[in-house]
Amino acid sequence: MTLAIAGARGLAGRRLLAAIPVLWGVTFLTFVVMNLLPGDAAQELLGANATPAEVHQLEIKLHLNQPFWVRYGHWLGGLFHGDLGNSLASGQNVSAVLGQRLPVTAELLLYAFVASILLAVGLAVLAARRPNGPADRLSMVASMTGLSIAPYVLALILVYIFAVRLGWFPAIGYVALTQNPGANLRSLTLPAAAIGFPLFSVYTRLLRADIVEQLQREDYIVTARAKGVAPWRILLRHALPNSLFGLITLVALNLGTLVGAVAIIEPIFSLPGVGAILIQSITNHDVPVVEGIVVVFAVVVVLANLLADVLYAVLDPRIRYERSAS
Amino acid sequence: MSAPLPELLAADGATGAPPVRPRARGLARDLRIWLPAGFLVLLAAACFLWPLVYPVPKPTGGSILSSGLPPLSRGHIFGTDPVGNDIFSRILHGGQVSFEVGFGVTAIGLVIGGLLGMAAGYWGGAADAVIMRVLDIAIAFPALVLALAVAEGLGPSELHVIWALSFFSVPAFGRVARGATIALRDRTFMLAARLSGTRGPRVIRRHVIPNIAPQLLTFSLLGVGVAMILEGALSFLGLGIPLPEPSWGSMIAYGQQTISASPDLVLIPSAFLFATVLSLNVLGDALRERWANPIGQSR
Repeated sequence: MTLAIAGARGLAGRRLLAAIPVLWGVTFLTFVVMNLLPGDAAQELLGANATPAEVHQLEIKLHLNQPFWVRYGHWLGGLFHGDLGNSLASGQNVSAVLGQRLPVTAELLLYAFVASILLAVGLAVLAARRPNGPADRLSMVASMTGLSIAPYVLALILVYIFAVRLGWFPAIGYVALTQNPGANLRSLTLPAAAIGFPLFSVYTRLLRADIVEQLQREDYIVTARAKGVAPWRILLRHALPNSLFGLITLVALNLGTLVGAVAIIEPIFSLPGVGAILIQSITNHDVPVVEGIVVVFAVVVVLANLLADVLYAVLDPRIRYERSAS
Repeated sequence: MSAPLPELLAADGATGAPPVRPRARGLARDLRIWLPAGFLVLLAAACFLWPLVYPVPKPTGGSILSSGLPPLSRGHIFGTDPVGNDIFSRILHGGQVSFEVGFGVTAIGLVIGGLLGMAAGYWGGAADAVIMRVLDIAIAFPALVLALAVAEGLGPSELHVIWALSFFSVPAFGRVARGATIALRDRTFMLAARLSGTRGPRVIRRHVIPNIAPQLLTFSLLGVGVAMILEGALSFLGLGIPLPEPSWGSMIAYGQQTISASPDLVLIPSAFLFATVLSLNVLGDALRERWANPIGQSR
């Protein structure tokens, strides 16, 4: 057991080291893209009527007149001290902005993820129990629908049905968790559904296919059946854990792409998360804010992939022993 | 070049029998291919040809006198929007944008990503390491940020939307092409080609491309659907196709403001977008099932 832990620790260390160039690449790419593109922050901030002198003055104040490498080095240096810099637009510290807005986004994503994974596991198990049965057909229709519907279309349709017509959920706005937990969940339900339903569809599809394959092709299933293990137990204790690898990989990969979904869904529901400010900051060329958000999401992706590796080892003793042996 | 013989034999032995999967019976299977394919062809023909052969109102510059008409009004089958543009005409012209963006983005991804992925998968080594690291960054990098920044920096236009969205398609196709190429690398006919002195580019042209084409084509169909949705997302954020030119995405975004009074402004373009992407996905699925036999065997 201690060997296994040491092995896992070594693996985690190697993974984190390998993540450093990727993280660096992400920040650098963002900086390059944000800086090479036409348009400049000072002009954007002051508006079209600003005189060149005013623009120049602001540029000096924000250090925008310095060469690209100096600015990037300065930002990177700050990052090592945990300082993400200040917003060009508001002058607010980026860490403070994130501290204010990230909890909203994090709660929204957590809600969407937990709901979609739980529902997907449930439906996939029911569907795989009897291929081509009613539950299986339902899972296929649901997942095809979720794969084909744009999240923003889903969001608007949900708003129309559940907010405008039925009035079950608020159409816009956010209530803090500390203020009123029930209202907080209600205010996040529709946006979480809009983000979560497409995820649910992909997860259901993948997991159902994996479970069916396990049930059809693996010898240990035959053995379990032969010795009289109950069908439900075979499904839940034998086939399901062995089918989770694909799902875990996909969830870890998905996390990174979700910043896009958040950026579109949050403004529709007027949620004060990072999504709305990300769009606004890209339009304003507010590089430090964009960088801050990108870094947070990139770190989350790296950590999620690391966690996925750990989960593989938890699920599969072979991985555990192999790694501790080497 | 690095495949030792024992590994190769093991690899070929392991491919074994094709996976047993219950195939849909004749007609049902054919319907799953012909129904979506027929719908897509009809819709594309309607979008691109109908305005040429049959007089429809212009998609822009409508009269304020005929604004906000409900669907099924005289002369405006889908009604008009708040500035008096005919919705049916905007659907047709917006559909042109969706098809052009969808296929343009996918074509760029297929060519650039496909070539990069095949090169990485075939030659391996340093080229593979570099290309894969770049793709890793692309995966960790939220592509929408990049696409938004490009769309914002270059200014909204259809061509710029295509370039911006290619940041999604190139890495995705690169990964798929690399995986498919690696699966081929150790097959006997590949070794035979290499042993007989065939050069890399020719092996890729004659052996790799024909063998991974089915996989890339089915993936392309899914890619077209994703690109259409993303075009709408950019339009939704005001960075897609500039108003007053129509696109399905901008029509949906525009309709959002009046959703409680006239939901049809959102629902009509949404229905077209959904039906189109659904057809692409069903078609891609059906073709993948049909081509599911192991690559290079009895096809």
